[in-house]
Formats: sequence, C-alpha cells, structure tokens
Amino acid sequence: MGVSAKKSAIWLLMLVLAFSVVMAGCSKSSSPDESASPSTGTEGDSGSDKPEPLTISIFYNVPGPIPTDDNRIYKKIKDELNVTLKEEYLVGDLEQKLGVMIAGGDYPDMISANTKLKDGGAVIPLEDLIEQHAPNLKKHYSKVWNQLKDPDDGHIYWLPNYGVYQGEFKPTQHQGPAFFIQRAVLKEFGYPTIKTLDEYFKLIEDYKAKYPEIDGQPTIGFTVLGYDWRDWSLRGVPQFLSGHPNDGAVQVDEETNTAIIYEGTDIAKPYYKKLNEMNAKGLIDKEGFAQNYDQYLAKIASGRVLGMFDQRWNFQQGEDSLISQGKPERAYVGIPITYDPSIRDHFLDRPPVNLGNGFGITVNAKDPVKIIKFLDTLMDPYWQKIFGWGEEGIDYHVDENGRFYRTPEQRAEQQDVTWRQRNKAESLYGQLPKLEGLYPDGNADTPGNQPEEFFADLKPIDQEILNAYGFKTWTDFFSDPPENRVSYPAWNIDLIEGSPAKVADQKVKDLSFKYLPKAILSKPEDFEKVWAEYAAEIAKVDTKPWLDRVNEQLKWRAENWGSSN
Amino acid sequence: MQHQVQQAEIVTRPKARPSFWSRMVRQRQLIFMSFPMVFYIILFAYIPIWGWMFAFQQYKPGLPIFEQKWVGFAQFDFLFNDAAFLRVLRNTIAMSLISLVLSFVTAIGFAVLLNEIRKSFIKRSIQTISYLPHFLSWVIVTGLVSTALSTEDGIVNVVLMKLHIISEPVVWLGEGKYFWWIVGFANVWKELGWNTIIFLAAIAAIDPSLYEAAEMDGANRYRKMWHITLPGIKPVIVILLILNIGWLLNGGGFEVQYFLGSGQVIDWSETIDIFVLKYGLRLGNYSLGVAAGIFKTVVSIILILLANEAAKRLGDERLI
Repeated sequence: MGVSAKKSAIWLLMLVLAFSVVMAGCSKSSSPDESASPSTGTEGDSGSDKPEPLTISIFYNVPGPIPTDDNRIYKKIKDELNVTLKEEYLVGDLEQKLGVMIAGGDYPDMISANTKLKDGGAVIPLEDLIEQHAPNLKKHYSKVWNQLKDPDDGHIYWLPNYGVYQGEFKPTQHQGPAFFIQRAVLKEFGYPTIKTLDEYFKLIEDYKAKYPEIDGQPTIGFTVLGYDWRDWSLRGVPQFLSGHPNDGAVQVDEETNTAIIYEGTDIAKPYYKKLNEMNAKGLIDKEGFAQNYDQYLAKIASGRVLGMFDQRWNFQQGEDSLISQGKPERAYVGIPITYDPSIRDHFLDRPPVNLGNGFGITVNAKDPVKIIKFLDTLMDPYWQKIFGWGEEGIDYHVDENGRFYRTPEQRAEQQDVTWRQRNKAESLYGQLPKLEGLYPDGNADTPGNQPEEFFADLKPIDQEILNAYGFKTWTDFFSDPPENRVSYPAWNIDLIEGSPAKVADQKVKDLSFKYLPKAILSKPEDFEKVWAEYAAEIAKVDTKPWLDRVNEQLKWRAENWGSSN
Repeated sequence: MQHQVQQAEIVTRPKARPSFWSRMVRQRQLIFMSFPMVFYIILFAYIPIWGWMFAFQQYKPGLPIFEQKWVGFAQFDFLFNDAAFLRVLRNTIAMSLISLVLSFVTAIGFAVLLNEIRKSFIKRSIQTISYLPHFLSWVIVTGLVSTALSTEDGIVNVVLMKLHIISEPVVWLGEGKYFWWIVGFANVWKELGWNTIIFLAAIAAIDPSLYEAAEMDGANRYRKMWHITLPGIKPVIVILLILNIGWLLNGGGFEVQYFLGSGQVIDWSETIDIFVLKYGLRLGNYSLGVAAGIFKTVVSIILILLANEAAKRLGDERLI
C-alpha cells in the first residue's frame, strides 16, 4: 500500500471514466419495434359491410422491391379487405437473420419459407386450416397436395408460390438458368447461333475487343456471382452443360434416380478450364468473385457486362433498370449451351411445384384463421388479376372479346421501376400462392404470358432478334422440356439443420468458393495443379451423409409423389 | 472510489484495526454506490453463464432446456478436430496481433505528436477529424475500403500506377497474403483518432513542472517526448495492453473480415467467429457457438492472467 498503488488506482479510475465515456458512445439503443405482435385495429370507422380490421406482419426473404407507403395495391387491400400489411424486408444475411429470429422466438405473422423455421418449430401446420377455411387454396393445391406435405411429419407448412398451373401453360420468357448474352452482342455479329462454350466466349471476346468501353467504363466480358446462397453461377453450371436439369448441388441420374456430387469431378472440370483460358484473355471479371449481390445488380444495371450464367429472376432487377434507362439493347437473351452439340439441353424445365418456398404462418400469429382466410380471398381471380395485371381501366383494358390488353402508355409505365413500387405489389405477389397459366376467362396469368401482349411489348431490337432466329418467344431458344422425373428437383430437399448432411454441403460449398475462383484466376499452366488440389479436398469431405439423405428423399418422393401427379 | 478507500485506510492505520463490520458501516455510502455496478455485472456477466450448458447439448430451438439432447463434448470435438480450426485460430490471432500492434503504435505516436501542437484550435480540429471515422459502421468503412482497393479506378491502384510502383492494377482483396494487413490498416484508419483520446487524457495529466524542469536542463522537444511524455503514459499503455490481450481471440473485430472476406481469401480471412457463424448459427447448430464462446473465454482469462503476471514481474502497473 504505497504511493505506487495509489497512483495506479488513480490511473484505473481515469481509465474507468474514459471507458465509461467510450461505452456510452458505443452502446446502441436497440429498439425492437419490429415486434411481431399483430395489433388488430388501426382504423375504427370501418363500415358495417367491411370485415374486422386485421394487421398482418410479414417477413420477406428478399431485399425488395419494397413498395412505397402510398402503394395503390396495398391501399386497395386495406380499403376492401380491411387488412393492413406490416412488412419487413431482408437486410444482409438471411440465415443469420433467421437464426436470431428463432433464438428469440420473435416472428412476424407470416414468413417466407425456410427449413430452419420449420425445424425450429416456428411455423404451424396448415392442412387443417386450409381444409376448413380456405376452399380456394384447397382447390388450387389439390393436384399437388401430397407433395406439399413435409416428408418427416406429413404436415403442410408452406404455401408454394410457383409451379401450380391451370390449363396448358407455355411461358414466353424463361425465368430459370441459362447463359446470358447482351442483345447488342448478338446484333453486332449478325445473330449467330450459339451452341458451344467456344462460340459463346468468341462473341464476347470479339465484342470486347471492338468496344473496350461501354458508356465510358471498361467493358466486362463475363462475370460470376458467388455470394451467400446465390451460388449457382459459380457452382451450378456443370450439370447444365452435361445436359441435366437444375437439381442444385447434385446431379441426378434419370434412370436410377440417384444423386452424385459433380463439383470437383471431370463433369465440372472442362467448364472451369474454359473459364481459366478466358481469364488469360482478360474476359473474366476478376473482382466478380468478391462481389456481393448488390454490387452484382449494379454492375448488370450499368450495361457493361456482356455475359454471365445466372437464373433470370436473380438479375431481373438489374435488367429492369437497364430497360427503364432506355437501354434495351443492353438487356439479355438466355441461351442454352452444352458441352457438346449432341447433348440435348435441359435448361428449360417443366416448372415443378416450388416446394420450400412461399409463405408460412408462424406460431406467433394471433389469429391464423383470419390470415388463411385472407390468403384464400387473395386466391380469387379478382385479386389475382389485380396482382398480375393491375386494376381494370387503370392498368389494362378489356376488349370486346374479353381479352385483356394494355395501351402503349400503360406498357411504358410498367417498365418504370419507381412507378411499379408505387403501383404494384411485386414482392407480395412473388411470395403469395398464385393462379398460373390461364384464368377461367382464358386470359393469361400475367401480361407477359398473354401472347398478344408479349408481342406488342417487344422492343424493336427484340423483334429483330426473334425474327432473325425465326422464333416466336424467348423460350424457343431452348429445347422443349421433357416430362419431369417424379423426384425432381433435388435442390429443395431439406437437409435438416445441423445434421452431418448439412455440414458436408457447407464444406463442399466452402471449398468451391475458395478453389473455383483460384482455379479460374490461376495462370493457365497452373490450372491442373489447382484443380487436382481442389478435387483432392472435395474427396476428403465426408459427403456420404449428404448423398444418403438426398437419395433417401429422392426414393421417398418417387414412391409417394408418383400417384399425385 | 478505491482512491478514497485507501485514504481512509491511511488515516486509520495508527489506531487498532476496527472490526470488519464497523468498517462496513463506516463505508456504507461507498458500498451502496457500488451496488448498481455489481448488480449489473452479476446480471449480465455471471447469470448468463448457466447458458454454457448448451455447449454440451445438441440444442434445438423451441424445446425446453432440459428436454434437449445431451451430447457431452461432441461440439468441442467438432470444433477442435475440424481441419479448418487451426487455420481460423491462426488467422484470428494474427489479425488481432497486427491490429493491436498497429493501433497501439499509431495511436501513441499520434497522441504524442498531437500534444506538441500548441495552437489549440488546430489541435482540436485534427482530433475531431481523426476520430470521426470511428462513428461510421463497418459496413460503410468496408465499402470505402473495397472501393479504394478496386481495380477499376480505386485510389490505391491509381496512385501506385502513377508512381510506377506497379505496372497493372492489383486485386488487393483477391489475394490472401494482403488480407491481414488490409484489416490492420482499415482498423487503424477507423479507430486511430478514437484510440488517441485516452492517451491524450493521460498526457494532459502529466505534471507540467516536469517539462519545465526538463527545459531548464536543456532538453529539446524530442528529449521531452522521450523522457517525460512516454514514461508518463506508460502505466496507461500497460493497462490498456493487458485489457486488449483479453480480446486477442476476437480477431480485431468480426464485421471487417466478414464484409471484406470472400471465398477467394478464405484461408486468410476466416476467423473463429466467422467459422462459428457458418457451421454453427447458419446450420442451426447453436451449441457450436456456445462451445466456441467457452473456448474463447477460457483462453482469454488465461491470457489476461499471463499478461498481468508478466507486467508484475517487470515491475509495472497491473490490472489485478
């Protein structure tokens, strides 16, 4: 107890004071005002014919498009159904957000599907609710009812948002995976037919050599997005090149209904070797492998990316922006490419029910009956048309034959991203169960699938392209899809949270995220070495639990779904 | 508080030592004053420790805690036996050390230099400007960093090209070997001004008569810095070092590696926290996160005790 102890005590005191200032500055006041409690009743003066006011809180697994506060469709829902939707959109990493939600048990009333939520007991079984209160939904899903049931406990937790069709359905635009190329590139070289990777990259190379800059910025030949769960442009390409449909991270043999892992094998190698060669020519976006989804969309919207592999819906926002900027020639055409012209492409598939997607109702919802009734009401063709087409007289007109059409002004409005945020409910419609194909009156679900509307909405450059190839719609670029395997697709198989299967999946993903960019960006003479290392690392991962789980589920589907189709 | 306690003791020393209870009664105001703090620590630091039992379970959200499946040391087994574990441990410690050393050296240097500025207006302006980045979140800072390091008109590449140091743009964020240093310097950029505040406060507390005496002895500015300022703030430096060593397993922050890292540099960028996020929280295995937390806590306590002991041996100020 001397001077030095006293001195150090003073120091300590000073430090404590300084730290408390620091801490006070750092501590964020976390305000949990996005609480999920459905506070019923925001408007008191509802008319006698109106249903009781209901507020439904929703969490979306997508960042947008976010509707404006004065959105016309939401207002209509409020006015006619007296339902207020309190929406929360994804910011940042989805799995993390859901993890926090589950840990805290803090759910909204309705939530976008995720296996984690089911495993965490966050959502309620819906089958009884649908049977008792939702005749429209019951009718809608009747054909696929068995498929909706969870393989583990037989309950229905999610209402798939896509893949249930009424009548014959022929899409005009392929929303799924393809190699994409800018319209301007095709135009520049006189609309060549592209069947191989060589032809595809040759066009990009030539165009980039001719136009090293687009709008004053360097031209990007080919970009690859590998971010979070949006990993298919990096990992998923080989299965398509070898003529298989989209089964995700596994490739399934049609005959035997068994899955194999193609990453790191010779099925995948030729594609990445090609990318490696193209990198040596300076065609690959070197920074692409480190980009996030927003940067990717911004890059697409800048109009200087000549090509990429992706699924159309994934970069749609970027392309929409290009069109509203008045650069339709920078938008993309999707084409199928296989390793060899003798391999029949299977990029375009008959859409299966989009299992593991769409909305579920959580355990926190105070009144699930009201929510399911609300969803059931929205399945009415009246509301479906409002979502798909808009309001009659405002967004479309009906001709004397009962066909829906839009005026050129109405079509122009639809291409304005900000207009759509005010006047459409795109995110909501994207997640809701929906009538697809034809309405009972014979009109198509959305204007894009109404043949007259589709043709009228084509830009001059679009018509030029389709005419040059002798096609009628964008899907004509692809081979007609054969009947789906009963167990298709494997990508929506629930691997079960925390199981060894999921760990193996994550490990292979990690390895691909690490080695594929390395292999692509390495010097051509080093490619073999990097690839051998990658293949060896993949072989070291214990993938058996993963494949076992997938194969078991494929078998289960083949046995249980076969009859319901 | 401690200060006053000691004074009280010094005064009472000549008399016979009063009993424990009578001392308690005499110091009651002080004891009452410490209650909120003690309560806060118990509530937020000790009570949550019961959650450690998650680490020995295969925790599934939604089930009551005692109905969970007990798995013994399986989570620790997974953590320590994963091939990636040594790598993430190395990355964590390396980035912590780099950040620690860089931030100490720069902050002390900056504080000493700042102290030499006589015009208080300029001094304050510089201080304000330099600590403002502290208030930006890492999302924004990492966005700035990746823009600055971009191959397309990123300022770093442009300047280096203009100086003919490099002949073509370097993909800074795509090369693992640069990653630790990028994290270190990003930390310095963001926290430099903020870190100097404590040192400046310490410098301000140095007795001016020491400087005057040194001046009389003919010391110039550099001599004064070396012989008076630096020894004067040595206790603060030591205490801060001991405190910071406890954070060694935090890798100098979580967000910075999370936002700047990508698959390409995973061998250098993945820290314990990111590993746990990927294989624990994202896969729904929360127990792994708890197991990693226990590991980090135990190692941190050992590190702090070691650092404290080392400081004691060297005859310096210490924390405990």
